[in-house]
Amino acid sequence: MEMFSFEFMRKAWLAAGFMAVIAPMLGVFLVVRRQSLLADTLSHVSLAGIALGFFLNQNPTMTTLLVVIISAVVLEYLRTMYQSYSEVSTAILMSGGLAVALLLMSLTKDNAPMKINQYLFGSIITISQSQVKVLGVLFVIIILLFLLFKRPMYVLTFDEDTAHVDGLPVHRMSLLFNIITGVAITLMIPIAGALLVSAIMILPATIAMNLGKSFNRVIFSSIVIGLIGMLSGLVFSYQLNTPPGATITLVFIAILALVSLGQKIRHK
Amino acid sequence: MHYVQVENLTFYYGEEPVLEDISYHIDPGEFVILTGENGAAKSTLIRNTLGLLKPAAGKITLSKVNQENEPLSVGYIPQQIASFNAGFPSTVLELVQSGRFSRGKWFKPLDKRDHQHVERALKSVDMWNMRHKRVGELSGGQKQRICLARVFATDPDLFIFDEPTTGMDEKSRTQFYELLQHNAHDHGKAILMVTHEHEEVKQYADRHIHLVRKEDSEWRCFHLSS
Repeated sequence: MEMFSFEFMRKAWLAAGFMAVIAPMLGVFLVVRRQSLLADTLSHVSLAGIALGFFLNQNPTMTTLLVVIISAVVLEYLRTMYQSYSEVSTAILMSGGLAVALLLMSLTKDNAPMKINQYLFGSIITISQSQVKVLGVLFVIIILLFLLFKRPMYVLTFDEDTAHVDGLPVHRMSLLFNIITGVAITLMIPIAGALLVSAIMILPATIAMNLGKSFNRVIFSSIVIGLIGMLSGLVFSYQLNTPPGATITLVFIAILALVSLGQKIRHK
Repeated sequence: MHYVQVENLTFYYGEEPVLEDISYHIDPGEFVILTGENGAAKSTLIRNTLGLLKPAAGKITLSKVNQENEPLSVGYIPQQIASFNAGFPSTVLELVQSGRFSRGKWFKPLDKRDHQHVERALKSVDMWNMRHKRVGELSGGQKQRICLARVFATDPDLFIFDEPTTGMDEKSRTQFYELLQHNAHDHGKAILMVTHEHEEVKQYADRHIHLVRKEDSEWRCFHLSS
């Protein structure tokens, strides 16, 4: 409990708690809609936003938000254009995002690569009070949106044609979902890092899908697993003096391996 | 009153005309079958009718209201619906209950009447005992049946089915046709069903729309037989 005597650890726990709920909630929909790579794509694209911020000498979070929202719109357009092989859209944006980030970094003076490194790997223990507050607001917004739109999202995730016939605005909903995912990624990146943010979205969701039968239970399990993985990862990181993001990801992978093993034994 | 009215519809895939000058209508209380050889763009016609594809020309009108002047409700079973994502995290009951959401329940709790519709629909396809199973654990035929149950639970005014009897045995198919006929004649529902089982289903259907290839076209283009 010594770790809680430090202010930075208390903030880290709070931020981890918020992210442990936000990330898997979005992650379940990403996994079921076969959009697992969307989180990766948007986190890569966000690097271009961060590099743009440094290039223009503006707040990188604001430029990242702008770039990620535009990318989410482009992504939805490409997804409808390449319906039969929709992963093409993620590949195009992922490589495009990285290319723009590298180009802008090379044009920026003032040690941009060092600053970008901070966003690439994140740092939950250097999180500021205002970042915790922003995550808190995002946490409340996503919970409210989830409670409000759970049913339309369920049908949209089941089958888009059925959703259209049921009267849902399929494209607008997909677009809004991509934008919300993009905003969440943008706000989590300074903490979790661009390389690991998709892991904390996708891994708890994947584990939960192996455990739960019903939609509600899968969502609930993904949040519980998110909390277990995030918080135990933070403790391990503190005790072993290892990078938090990487430690959290490895804890999730260990849980996934254990759950898969447990299921294999049970089905024998 | 027509629930569906399609006038002079023409549809292209790229440069290639696929459907030309199609006109048809579906009225309440009738069971209509749509047939044609493989690749006759039957599904394309259905998808145009529902607004899932945009025609190059023509007018499609779906009635806004039913005979009771309430908003028209549509239930659709696409071809291969049963091949949906095997990992979809849902029980059979949740999936069939979702058929009630479009009946004004997107943001309201389901009531007793909704639960009755769901129970009746699941029992009508003999899947009530499987209601707590995860949908991914079901066989192809069982998935087909729960998708039908979802549509029956919606209790729509207009049913549109695209080859819904794929994978059903003869007895189940006959029961299904009887159920559709009962829904059309006794409950005033309008039904459009794409089928390859013309001979089998014709005794139950009220009308038959048949797509044939246009002989004077250089493309594989279809129109309605006269």
